[in-house]
Amino acid sequence: MLVCKSKSPRREKLGGPGESVRVRWIRCSAVVRLPPPAMDPEGLELERERHVLFLEMMMERLPSDFETQEINHLTLAYFAISGLGILGALDRVDKDQIASWVLSFQAQPRTMSDLDNGQFYGFHGSRTSQFTIDDSEVSSHNCSHLASTYCALAILNMIGYNLSNINSEAILISMRNLQQPDGSFMPIHFGAEKDLRFVYCAAAICFMLNNWTGMDKEKAKEYILHCQSYDGGFGLVPGSESHGGATYCAVAALQLMGFINADISSKPAKSVVVDVPLLVDWSLQRQAADGGFQGRANKPSDTCYAFWVGGVLKILGFYHFLNKGALRRFLLSCQSKYGGFTKFPENMLPDLYHSYYSFAALSLMEEEGLKPLCVELGITAINDNGI
Amino acid sequence: MSSSDDDDERIPFIQRPEWSDVRPVPQDDGPHPIVPIAYHDDFRETMDYFRAVYLADERSRRALDLTTEAIGMNPANYTVWHFRRLVLEALNVDLHEERDFIDEIAVRNSKNYQIWHHRRWVAEKLGPQAADKELEFTMMILALDAKNYHAWSHRQWVLQSLGGWEKELDYCCKLLEDDIFNNSAWNQRYFVITRSPLLGGLQAMRDSEVSYTVEAILANPQNESPWRYLRGLYKGDTDLLVSDNQVSDVCLKVLKTNHNYIFALSLLLDLLCYGFQPSHELKRVVQFLGKTETDSSDANLATTICSILETVDPMRSNYWAWRKNNLPSQVC
Repeated sequence: MLVCKSKSPRREKLGGPGESVRVRWIRCSAVVRLPPPAMDPEGLELERERHVLFLEMMMERLPSDFETQEINHLTLAYFAISGLGILGALDRVDKDQIASWVLSFQAQPRTMSDLDNGQFYGFHGSRTSQFTIDDSEVSSHNCSHLASTYCALAILNMIGYNLSNINSEAILISMRNLQQPDGSFMPIHFGAEKDLRFVYCAAAICFMLNNWTGMDKEKAKEYILHCQSYDGGFGLVPGSESHGGATYCAVAALQLMGFINADISSKPAKSVVVDVPLLVDWSLQRQAADGGFQGRANKPSDTCYAFWVGGVLKILGFYHFLNKGALRRFLLSCQSKYGGFTKFPENMLPDLYHSYYSFAALSLMEEEGLKPLCVELGITAINDNGI
Repeated sequence: MSSSDDDDERIPFIQRPEWSDVRPVPQDDGPHPIVPIAYHDDFRETMDYFRAVYLADERSRRALDLTTEAIGMNPANYTVWHFRRLVLEALNVDLHEERDFIDEIAVRNSKNYQIWHHRRWVAEKLGPQAADKELEFTMMILALDAKNYHAWSHRQWVLQSLGGWEKELDYCCKLLEDDIFNNSAWNQRYFVITRSPLLGGLQAMRDSEVSYTVEAILANPQNESPWRYLRGLYKGDTDLLVSDNQVSDVCLKVLKTNHNYIFALSLLLDLLCYGFQPSHELKRVVQFLGKTETDSSDANLATTICSILETVDPMRSNYWAWRKNNLPSQVC
């Protein structure tokens, strides 16, 4: 069951499988004798080793609280593996094992004519929706999902798997079934909410497979433009409130589709696709007085938006305008003594999601010891095989 | 809300006579799972039975009950929800009952995408007669968290697809009365005035909305939301934004109070970049602030504004410095 390659004998002794990860964190922190974080945020350092340990724990076993997220099992794996990638610790995982596990989630059409049946042949989110009892059952219970497919390809990409080995034609041809007349995407063939998150996933999938036959880019762009709000940010659907995550999905998708010029900051007024000056103004305004980023106006700062909104500014070429010192202090005030990061400074326990986006945010800031990100893909490395 | 009691009394499926004919289908995690989850026994068993009925495509009453249990433990599992919809259709279940079921579970799962999607599916089937109930439901969720993104999305969908616009502007007013900093309510207000078929659109609403917004700004000039809303009222019409005295007037009024003037300066800067010709009074007020906050006094107005903002808005001082160096050549 153990995934990590290099396991210290010391950690082998820690608790049986029934022991909660929380307890293990505490014990681990004690065992490796890491100093408690300093109280003065000015003196805070990124506790890299502690974070690696935290993610290794997650790789080994997720506590039962994660049951309610089991349908996004590949996404949970993405956070852990990509987190280790940012921390420069991918040497600690067994890449072949990961590749075969990820590939086992792919839905395969029986014949190429299946690709016209309206279903999407991507990756399942978890085993609960995937059945391999006999071959005839597989395709009638296809629950593959755009977000899981994005996560699968992102993981494979970052561990150096050659993406040309994948049946990408099946993914791309069938993905067209998910695009709606208004340009948006639904994530799964039997229907679910349609919004910018899945436009982003579709664009990232096409980009990673280096093949844009999977979507109508012009339509997707139209949809994205309709989501820009009166204040310059983007909502998840047309008419909804500007939101840091939605704005990232919009801007990163436009970037992946090639609609944003690299030199946009030198002549923002000439941008033809988005109201860039208003977007930049809105994005910079999200840095609050405590140095952190909020996802929406008049909401508290939350670690993950340092990536979502910071990423938008990075893509647009305006990242150097934010107050890096203040942001770094905010993020490090959310560093947990158990490893990982919390959502808010007042929280005690870290979670995988906010940990991952804190690592990503610190990488954007070029924090020492962290690998650089490909910001629009949300992962570290772009390997030479797939892209 | 007796869910925790139910959990305590839960009888495993294996001991339930009505399920004795079903062979559970265990989850096949394969030889080397990554990030394995430490499932509880109850969770695992429920999903094993779910897999069995799903594979057998058994669209029965007990299958429906099983999905209720599975959703209680695993509300994000879209496969379970999908199968539930198939069963609901096959059994021709009264969807009003289904709506009651969602009412019950939504409060403690109000940020779960699948539940909201299911709610929409039910409301869509019930049609326009469901509009009032849906608006009431979102009001109930928004009373607990006035910024719940899912509830707002659902509400906007209801208005556009099923109707019920009549009292929406009043509702926005009420929420803004409760909390004038609620940006979600400002956004909804914009949604209503631009999209309601009853109000005549942005142009027809602009004057009264500008008055409302100016009042909100003067009460709390540090509140970003009404400033953005004010600009939104002139979306696509920069000339009108520049020429409408109400806009520069509210900037002047806030600047004269001598505090919380960052948003006023920021808007004034944009007005100047669009060709606005400032009054002597406005120049004097800004230059007075410039003398207090910075060393510059001989520069043009836009430059002075940038210099003040560099000092009083430390999170964005690099940005204001860049703006200062990239002002349009004709700016005042």
